[in-house]
Formats: sequence, structure tokens, C-alpha cells
Amino acid sequence: MDVVVRADRDGDRARLTPVGQFDLPHAVTAAHAIANVERALVGCRLVELDLRSVGDIDGTGAVQLASLLDRVESAGPSTQVLDEHNPKAGRLIALYRRRRSASPLAQAEQRSVLARLGLMADRSIGTVRRGLDFIGHDAVAAQRAVAAPRSVDWRALPQLLQQIGADGLPVAAAANLLVGLIIGFLGVSQLGRFGATVYVPELVVVAHFRELGPLVTAIVVAGRSGAGLASEMATMKVSEEIDALRAMGFDPVRWLVVPRCLALVLAVPVLTWIGDVLALVGGLIATTALTDMSARAYVMSTANAISGPVFLGGLAKTPFLALAIGLIACGQGLATQGGAAEVGGRTTAAVVLSIFGVILISSLFTLLYAVMGI
Amino acid sequence: MPPSRPHIVVNDLRIGWGTRVLMEHVTFDVERGSTFTILGGSGSGKSTLLRYLIGLEQPRAGTIDVDGLGTPHLYQGVPRFGVLFQSGALFGSMTLAENLALPLTMWTSIRGSLVRELVQAKLDLVGLGAFAEHLPGQISGGMKKRAGIARAMMLEPDLLFFDEPSAGLDPITAVELDQLILTLSRDLGITIVIVTHELPSIFLVADSCIVLDKVAKGIVARGDPRTLRDQSEIPFVHGFFTRSSLAASHGV
Repeated sequence: MDVVVRADRDGDRARLTPVGQFDLPHAVTAAHAIANVERALVGCRLVELDLRSVGDIDGTGAVQLASLLDRVESAGPSTQVLDEHNPKAGRLIALYRRRRSASPLAQAEQRSVLARLGLMADRSIGTVRRGLDFIGHDAVAAQRAVAAPRSVDWRALPQLLQQIGADGLPVAAAANLLVGLIIGFLGVSQLGRFGATVYVPELVVVAHFRELGPLVTAIVVAGRSGAGLASEMATMKVSEEIDALRAMGFDPVRWLVVPRCLALVLAVPVLTWIGDVLALVGGLIATTALTDMSARAYVMSTANAISGPVFLGGLAKTPFLALAIGLIACGQGLATQGGAAEVGGRTTAAVVLSIFGVILISSLFTLLYAVMGI
Repeated sequence: MPPSRPHIVVNDLRIGWGTRVLMEHVTFDVERGSTFTILGGSGSGKSTLLRYLIGLEQPRAGTIDVDGLGTPHLYQGVPRFGVLFQSGALFGSMTLAENLALPLTMWTSIRGSLVRELVQAKLDLVGLGAFAEHLPGQISGGMKKRAGIARAMMLEPDLLFFDEPSAGLDPITAVELDQLILTLSRDLGITIVIVTHELPSIFLVADSCIVLDKVAKGIVARGDPRTLRDQSEIPFVHGFFTRSSLAASHGV
């Protein structure tokens, strides 16, 4: 059945007769019918709405007719609803009109590009300040954790070591093995041009032990455990578990962040060390496959190339990289506010920031070693 | 469909997992346009029964018939009913207006200003007209529930399920919510099924009820809650309505 609104004009009086079904499935046609008839009402002083021909009506139709009456009234004419033949429709329309809020429809605030830029700058100051605040809080928490060991959730430590270390080992090991292979291939193809393939083992050792090993391992850990820790913290924050810890007198930083950072600081050097060994295997595979160097010669050459500064210089970075991952991941998690969407956003931010932080710290160490002449 | 036909017919429903039976021989009707409550203590299976009624679980024995169309199956076209979940279950990343607009844009061809108009009318109906652009995280628990009701009503269902609507609300907000439920029932003629254990709310809104008990594994009483309170001979039911200790009736 078609939905129409008939309009009978008699001088400055008009009678509107909606005909048909005013319900959700017919809402679009009803909207057109109502829009058409509104033009015919210009200059009226009284508008009557006769509901006798309204078929099925539900809340949607009632809202549309109620809005029509409101618009008519705000334009000047008074309105009257004739509902003696259809009291249900009258009641529904009256309900929605009665409940209509006086406040104008709230609109989302529109801001200019400049205003948004200013707001962003303003917020970034707060972000940096909160970040520094969090690091300061961690430093204090670490001291207090030593002074009061019971305020730290030590029982979580073995499980965290398992999650970050043992569970992360396969992917970290595979990544390091492949990077070792790549360095080996590159060394053979580039050094081979000068007939210097004999230096490939040393290249693998220096490049991987000092620079790439810690970096690759840290990036893998940042992606794996950083995301895990951030989403765990964020979910705890959203579900008020962090607030519950606070209310019970626990410092969430001491209780949660200290064991997580400690687990990272313990696990990442071990992962890096294992990764270093696998990178040597990768280099060995690449070199012996592409050149006539024997495995024995490669191993001997590698053994000669490994020196204290190269090996320890690489490992010395790893606790700092691990700490950066832990602080960024936990900090992002604890900064979560709101609901499920925010958890995802903070997790992404934690991974992006911790990978960037790891690369930045690694670069700073390289610079430092260069200045120190190591 | 003649109005005399019940809106929901549940016949000999059995609920459980594996060999564990949570309840059995559950049989009841919900009259069209009435307000029906499912009562019972914690762990009696009230909310589980609701999951079956709205089709989140499929019965292993017995039948559920909603609207003469058989057991509700999800993902089969426009939902025939609205559901208010315990916490409102609003999507946290969307404003209230976007939350309410979602079912309309999903299931109807309504777009643009008409969507805004209908959303605003529903928000006004539940008294949240001024909060259209707020995120769920920015409003209180009672407001979230009211917004949840508004969202459940967007597709104009003639049947609404409420899971513990007044749980966790202060008495004043709870009464406001009960008033809203009465309005929906009386002015809009919507059939309402409420899972609750809030006594004041039960006596205010319910036309009829069933009482579930985990020890009896099923319905222990049915009828008008006021009559049950005054006349029930069953100690558990009497205790439930008069808030006297249940320990005696369970022999604890």
C-alpha cells in the first residue's frame, strides 16, 4: 500500500490525512510524502492531523508525524491531532512529542585545521610530560621494590620469563639465523669482488654481534611481547583491575611494571646471545654454500674474530633495549582510557613506539662506541 | 495473528552441557503485550535461559517458539526483538548516536537526516537527548542501560528482552528505568521479558513471572508476583519474595 499524506486546504485551515502504513519498512516513502505536503501548508493558521486512515503505525512513523507537527508549530500555525478513530496512533505521537528534549540537537564540534593543529601541539606537551612522569615513577618504583620486595608480584616472574623468553625463542632464533644468512650472502657477493671472502666470518661477527643481533632480537621482542604486555595492561585498565590494585594500596607500577621490565631485561640478553650463535650458523651456511671455504676454516676464522669488545659491546645494549620495550609497552597500556577500541589503539602505539625506541637507542649506542673508539 | 496467541511459547526445554543438567522441564508462555519476569537467585540459570530465548544458544531438548516462527536463529534477516544486555553493551568507539544508527543503516534503506531524526527521538524517549555525541565511556552506568534500551528499540521490535536492567543502579535511577519499562509496555504495547532479582522492580513492572531454582533445576513457581509473595506455600518462593533466609528451605 502506498503511503501518502493528503492535504485539504480551506482558507487558512488545513487538514492533513496520512494514509497508509507509517512504520519502519515504509519510513523512506513516508518521509517523502511528509516533505511533499509541508509545502502546501504555507500561510495556514490551523493545521489538523486526522489519523483515521493511518494503518499500521510504530515508533518510527510516530516520530515522523510528531516531527511534522513540531515543525509546523515552530513555523507559526497551531496544530490539532484528531485521533478518536485511531487512539493508538495518537498515543504514540503524543508520547514522542512529550519526550522530545527542549535542547537543540547536539552536533559534533567542527574545528578548523588550524585549531586542530593547535590542539595537537597542546596535547603533545602533555604526552611528553606524562611520559617523563611515568619514567620517573618507574625509577622510584624500582628503588622501592628493592626496599619492599613484597610490593612486587614476584610470582608472575617465572611465567613472564617463559612468555617473553622461551615462547619467543623460535621466532627470535629464526629471525637471527636469517639475518646471519643475509650478511653471509652480502659478504660473499661484495667482498668476493675484491677476493676478500676470507673476511666474511669476521664481517658476520662484527655486524651481527655488535649491531644487528641486539637490534633484530629487540625488534622481534617488541613486536611479540610489547604487543602482549600493552594489550594485557590496557585490558586490565579498562576492566578497572588497575583501579582495584590502587584501591587495595598496591602501586600498579611496582606490582606489574617492575616484574615485566625485569623479565624483559633478563630474557632479551639470553635471546640475543642465542640469536648471535644462530647468526654464525647462518653465515656459515651462506659462505660454505657459495664459496669453497670449508666449514672448519669458517669456524676457525670466526673464533679469531670474536673479541671481548665486539661481543660484550653488543650484549651491553640489550638490557637498555629491553627496558625501553617494557616501559613503553606498560606505559601505553596503563595510559588506556575508555573501551575496547582504545585497547587496540594503545597496543598499536606500543609496538610502533617500542620498535622506534629500540632503533633509536641502538643508534645512540653505535654513536657512543664510535666516539669511544671501540 | 489473533492477539490471544502467546508471544513466546517455551515447551519442556532442557538446558545443560554434556551430562550436566542446569534445568529441565521448563515450560511457560509469555502473553503478547505483557511484562514477564524471569526470577531466581544467583546461579539459577536466569541469564542462561535468556540466551536460549534470544537464540544465542540452541536448545538440545524441548522447543522455543517466538512469534509463531519457531526457535530464534541469529543471522536470519532483521532481528524480531531487541535485547538489552547487562552492561548496555554499547560499542565503545562509537558515540551514542552512532550506536543507535547502526541497526538502522544495517537493516533499512533509511539514510541521512531521517536517521538522525529517528535516533534523536529514541534518545529523547529514554531521556538522553542531550548526549547524542557522547561516547559510552563518558556516561554513567544507568545512562548506558537507557542508551542500550534505545538501541534495542531502533528496529521497532514488539518484543524486548532485558537482562538485569536495574542491577548495579542506585534506587532512584532504578525506579526511573522501571518507569521507562512501564512506558514501553503500556504506551507502545511492547512485550517485555525481564531477567532480574530486584524485588521493588518486580512488583512495579511485572504482570507475571516464573521463579527458577538451582536446587530444583527448573521452575518452582509461576504467576503474579504479588500473589506469589502473599500466598505461596513453597518456602523458597516465600523466602525469595519476602527476603527471608533461603538457608532453611535448602536445608543448609
